[in-house]
Amino acid sequence: MQQLIMPTQTNPKILVVDDHASVLEGTVNSIRQQYAEAKISVAQTAEKALGIVKEGQPDLMVVDLCIPQRNGESAKIETGLQLLRDLMQHYPTLNLMIQSANTASLVRLKPAINAHEGGFTIAAKSLSLPDMLTRVDWALQGLVFTPKEMRSGLEMKSEWLQMLKLAFEGGLQDKAIAEQMNISERTVRHYWTKIQDALGIYPDEGKNIRIHTGIRARQEGLID
Amino acid sequence: MQRILWQWFQREWQVWRVGALPGLAVIGLVVLLRGVGALQFLELTLLDSFLRSRPAEPMDERILIVGIDDADIRQIGQYPVPDREIVSLLETIQAHQPSVVGLDIFRDYTIPPGQTELAKAFKKSKNWVAIEALSLFTGDRVATPPPATVPTEQVGFVNALVDRDGFLRRSLLSAKDANEDFHFSLTAQLAKRYLEAHGKTLDNGIRDPEAFRFGKTELHRFQANTGGYVGADDGANQILINFRSGQRPFRTISLTDIKNGNFKPEWIRDRIVLVGITSDVQKDLVNSAAIVKDNPGLVPGVEAQAHAVSQIVSAVLDGRSLLNTLSDPWEYLWIVAWGLLGLSLGRMSQSPLRILLGLGATSVVLTGACYLAILGGWWLPVVPAFMAMFLNGAGLTTALFYRYGQNLQMGIAQRQLVINQTFDAIHSGPLQTLSSLLRTVKSQSLAPEALLLELQKLDDEMRSVWESVRQEVLIQDHQMRLGSNVTLDLDAPLHETFAELFYVTLQRDLPYFKTLKIQIPDVEMLDERFLAMPQKQMICRFVEESMCNVGKHAIGATFLRLVCRQEQGENLIQIIDDGQMLDGKALELSAKGLSLGDGSTQNVLRFSARGGTRQAQELAHQLGGSFQRLQNTPTGTICQLKWRAKRR
Repeated sequence: MQQLIMPTQTNPKILVVDDHASVLEGTVNSIRQQYAEAKISVAQTAEKALGIVKEGQPDLMVVDLCIPQRNGESAKIETGLQLLRDLMQHYPTLNLMIQSANTASLVRLKPAINAHEGGFTIAAKSLSLPDMLTRVDWALQGLVFTPKEMRSGLEMKSEWLQMLKLAFEGGLQDKAIAEQMNISERTVRHYWTKIQDALGIYPDEGKNIRIHTGIRARQEGLID
Repeated sequence: MQRILWQWFQREWQVWRVGALPGLAVIGLVVLLRGVGALQFLELTLLDSFLRSRPAEPMDERILIVGIDDADIRQIGQYPVPDREIVSLLETIQAHQPSVVGLDIFRDYTIPPGQTELAKAFKKSKNWVAIEALSLFTGDRVATPPPATVPTEQVGFVNALVDRDGFLRRSLLSAKDANEDFHFSLTAQLAKRYLEAHGKTLDNGIRDPEAFRFGKTELHRFQANTGGYVGADDGANQILINFRSGQRPFRTISLTDIKNGNFKPEWIRDRIVLVGITSDVQKDLVNSAAIVKDNPGLVPGVEAQAHAVSQIVSAVLDGRSLLNTLSDPWEYLWIVAWGLLGLSLGRMSQSPLRILLGLGATSVVLTGACYLAILGGWWLPVVPAFMAMFLNGAGLTTALFYRYGQNLQMGIAQRQLVINQTFDAIHSGPLQTLSSLLRTVKSQSLAPEALLLELQKLDDEMRSVWESVRQEVLIQDHQMRLGSNVTLDLDAPLHETFAELFYVTLQRDLPYFKTLKIQIPDVEMLDERFLAMPQKQMICRFVEESMCNVGKHAIGATFLRLVCRQEQGENLIQIIDDGQMLDGKALELSAKGLSLGDGSTQNVLRFSARGGTRQAQELAHQLGGSFQRLQNTPTGTICQLKWRAKRR
């Protein structure tokens, strides 16, 4: 299982986007508690954030959904959504953590989130500090966490189902799966994280996450 | 980065390929029109008005016109003016040491008194030039010889070259007569002699050996297709005239002024003096619209000569520009570029008002640029560039208005469909209940409780019809309402809307949504460039309705899959389930508007399988595609809508 997760960096480059200076400071301080050596930059508008990413892709981007496009404009959720669209389209491996309680508006981005190959976690601002830091850590590891409210049931893409069958019914390793499905090994790894998110399986001390995935998939009747 | 750029280019190319073809045709047509000379008249007329509206230049002090006017002729009492009068005039001028004197009056035969004096005087004063007319063009068959015994070096021809509209815009420098003998024009003789006196001798051109050159100034020969001209007579050596602007470009005095000493000697000393007829009665006039005049269009021949001489002398000595033109390839490039600009106005904005504003602004810029160019001595093709740009921009605006109208029509068609369905719903629901109620009441066998129940049912049915009609009507153009309080925004890409639609619809309280184990939203980007808003709305309705059909009729379904992707240039939407669909009966039941457990009130109207199929077929027809209900293996149904993305 360990090979799925990239080692957590000690001095990651992190960009925090939020239009409220006080919230920005709070978020930055929280992150510092875990990553004292992190290089943290901040942006208060979508335009500025994009500009910073263009100069060099950060290891993690923490984004508030409700932000203004540029200075002096009013903060809108649409602006945050558009920023996410742009980021996921042009930086497919960018790790993202979304700070928002408004998951309903993220539903329409699900096709893009499903296709995104970087980490993607969602954390409401009301989350406790340890939980929030866990989401940061997961995003940095390239994992996916989306709240259950974003799904009306067990949601799976056809490719994920096919992969589960190859892995647990065919007993294939990632490399063989990649060859069979004509995709890259990286994409296979990224499918695993999506499936685990859909099944509600997240890293847990002492649990083998992949075996756990097999058990849950069988329970749900996804594999025989 | 390169890939993104390439994808962008491909996307743009797709749009342009479809949208730009008529635009390119328009540009081609304008180029063709110009090529065959259909725009020549307009271009020449516009050139004249541009030249005329230039700010005034200072008077050219190098040239003095001595015009013999009506008062002079009356005083002499004889016309043509006798030789002696002319000689005496020239002698008086000569006494003040002019640089060169041009006598722009025909003397092919002598007019007594003073027959011999003219010849003698010309022999004595080598800086005098007399005139002749050559038989150059079909127009002037009769040539007019110069005065007898005046040597050829002192003769220049004065043939005028007018355009088809009768206006003078070109000046002749030299020509060969029928015997292939070389002749200078009066213009060339005067300019050459004056410039020689200022150290600039006449030479052959460097770029074009046949052109005139004084020092560094080369006088570009006029060609048949120069500027706005198409197939003009470019025989002999001619150049365009950059008329000197202003009300009084040259100092003009009369013969009487000379006789009475009514002039300053420095007006003559070292100047070019032109002697000619300015009488309104004894006409020596040419037409020009480029010169500012009280009597527009009519210019004394001697003044036209002054313009022609002045432009050469000023160009060589002052660097005043002549009238330049672009070469043909550059001219056509300029026209095509403006055409493309007009076309791209439509690509940049979708709003007719903005395009019109853009069109206005671009027209001002184009006209302004060409006017500034004229001030700098460059004659650019205004008319064809304007036509190409304007027709394209205006054409696009019209097309947009047309599309708007089409959207409106589609909206009306959709409303009509709603009305039809409402009628169906009323007919198959409340009206049936009412008629059965009437029957039973007539037979008087109904208990009051049963009557109340029936009436309540009727009330429910009526309300549900009312509710669904209200929801259809209340929605805005770019929105769509789902259920009672969810509104979909149709401005977003369709596959995103589908993701939301999928999520919202599956939360409905339908019996066979509860049996679903897996939900599979396989949604990818569609090619929706040619979809109008009402079409998007109808496609969303189709997806919603097909999903609800699964929820209502697909008994024991374990999965629901929504496929949305592009496949070989086609947009494909599929709603797939593995439930057992009861054939015939279920459809009939739902067609009557009986709910199968859906708590929503809309099912009466929209989710009836019969109406649904009809609407889906109608939609497929509008999109130019197909709608199919297929059997899924081993069990279940595939509802499929497919249409070509690029159909226009």
